Amino acid sequence: MEGRFKMAYCALLMVLSVAYGCAPSATTKPGPSSSGAGSASAKSSDTVRSGGGQAGGTKESDATASSLKALQEGKPPITPASSPLKDVFFDFDRYDLSADARGILRGNAEWLKNNPSARVDVEGHCDERGTNDYNLALGAKRAQAAREYLVSLGIAPDRLSTTSYGEEIPVCQERSEGCWRQNRRARFVIVARRATS
Amino acid sequence: MKFFLLVVSLIFFGFDLDLAFAQFKGEIIGSGGQKFPIAVSPLRNIGSATADAGRFSTGIADSIVHDLELSGWFRVIDRSSYIESPQKSGITLGTFDLKDWSTLGAEGLVKGGFSVQGSEIVVELRLFDVYQGKERIAKRYTGGVSQFRRIAHKFVDEIINQFTGIPGVFNTQIAYVSNSGGRFKEIYYSHLDGSEKRQVTDNRTINLSPSWGVNGRTILYSSFQDRGQTLYLRDLPSGKDLRFNPPGAGRFLGGKLSPDGQMVVATYESGGNSNLYLLDRSGNVIRRLTEDAGIEVSPSWSPDGKQIVYVSDRSGSPQIFVLDMQSGKTRRVTYSGSYNTTPEWSPKGDRIVYTGRVGSKFAIFTVPLEGGEPRKLTSESFDSEDPTWSPDGRFIAFSSNRAGRYHLYVMQASGENQRRLTGSGGDDSKPSWSPRLVD
Repeated sequence: MEGRFKMAYCALLMVLSVAYGCAPSATTKPGPSSSGAGSASAKSSDTVRSGGGQAGGTKESDATASSLKALQEGKPPITPASSPLKDVFFDFDRYDLSADARGILRGNAEWLKNNPSARVDVEGHCDERGTNDYNLALGAKRAQAAREYLVSLGIAPDRLSTTSYGEEIPVCQERSEGCWRQNRRARFVIVARRATS
Repeated sequence: MKFFLLVVSLIFFGFDLDLAFAQFKGEIIGSGGQKFPIAVSPLRNIGSATADAGRFSTGIADSIVHDLELSGWFRVIDRSSYIESPQKSGITLGTFDLKDWSTLGAEGLVKGGFSVQGSEIVVELRLFDVYQGKERIAKRYTGGVSQFRRIAHKFVDEIINQFTGIPGVFNTQIAYVSNSGGRFKEIYYSHLDGSEKRQVTDNRTINLSPSWGVNGRTILYSSFQDRGQTLYLRDLPSGKDLRFNPPGAGRFLGGKLSPDGQMVVATYESGGNSNLYLLDRSGNVIRRLTEDAGIEVSPSWSPDGKQIVYVSDRSGSPQIFVLDMQSGKTRRVTYSGSYNTTPEWSPKGDRIVYTGRVGSKFAIFTVPLEGGEPRKLTSESFDSEDPTWSPDGRFIAFSSNRAGRYHLYVMQASGENQRRLTGSGGDDSKPSWSPRLVD
């Protein structure tokens, strides 16, 4: 249930755009969190590198911020369109991967292979329906399903952690299937890029 | 001599109460039938004049009215029709005219007085039987002026005791999750009428699933405040948190303190699998309770602490199961519906309340522990979730979006008399009803 914390950005968007609630993620991109993320996956490793590697370098905002961090900073937990690691989506109360989801994960795996120093936290999310407790467990299943598929594609398990936010940090606030499907997702947050050998 | 005759009828729930008022009338009044008509006079200031007199005079009466109406057993006669002047008439038998109340149809009457001395308030409250012209309860309370509403709750608990033989549950608190302070989810608690509201967490993250310890002095909750999600045990008097450090790389998603307060049953998730663990009250693992590759979540103790009711998806959809702690045997409780979650064991031990999916909505159900037909208590034209029993098992609090956002509601265990409790301005959810307060 719930999750309709009406962030200021959401309310603003509703007023300004007369959109039917929060617009989908592609159109609600706020400036700061996505501006530096590069445009194509080939380039993004450079831009991300500027964030993680150096001591004291805290420009994590160049990459996708964790949903909790986005919440704390008052930003929407949106994966920037320019992010090399794309979200995958799930059906209601399911955590099996669709053909579409597998296709997206193969793309994510490709990037991870090309950026072997990147470590990623896989976030599992749910829509607001059902109870908070169950959705925390379901989100964990979703994150794990995505992680296991990446591992099956050759990504080292120790590069992939998981976090479930259940239904607690939705990307879309509207009470409709169009919105719920955006919230039933796994997203991929680059947590560290070490200068590996 | 018993003036308020108790008739307990064990229909459906074993909780339905019929309030009978005295032998001489022979009327059966209560849930499903007529409610007991009662008047609650504003209190008389029997001390020296004080600027706050109006606030206490009507405030205490308002709280009494609130509780009586919330119980569902009383019809409180509207104050605007009262005849006598509360500041001029007496508050003991013979010092006011009973006819002023019988004329209005009142069969019961609450009158009282108060005096304020510095930061203390002394309140005297009486319950009269209007038709018999008898005094049934006379109580004197002393407390801090800021807690004057608690005195009203205590007195209503006495009134309920007079009628039913079991004290009411209005001197209790509800803990809940709210985002009313902004986009974060923090934990709060207050009395049922919203008074004496306290904020438990203020860490600007996500805090969930509060539940009370036996004495009402502790709250167990889960939080993302530090290094991933885990459980915290808050000691309310000191305000100190004890962090439960998860074993291994997983995390605690939620948990509940045992009825004796010595143990915790927790959901531990690792590698996508969530299972139940038995912990001591410092968060150390005593033993693992379930071994399943699926989802095991939302554990709740039986009143005797020997069994756990919880949710498992091992049958392909979330359903409610009972685990016997000693034998390790599990038994499925729900068979109808494809999504049954958040069970809580009734204080009497005979029923489970839970959230079930009906079409595209969620509703509150109860089901007998030994199986049988579930009973739907809330409408499927909106969502209702997260039920919690009152300590006497006669009421259920829950959250619902029937008024747009999620608010807390309370109803009788039969589903009757559903009333809203909170209106924080945000979404309020996950209520947990405290034990009766000692003070």
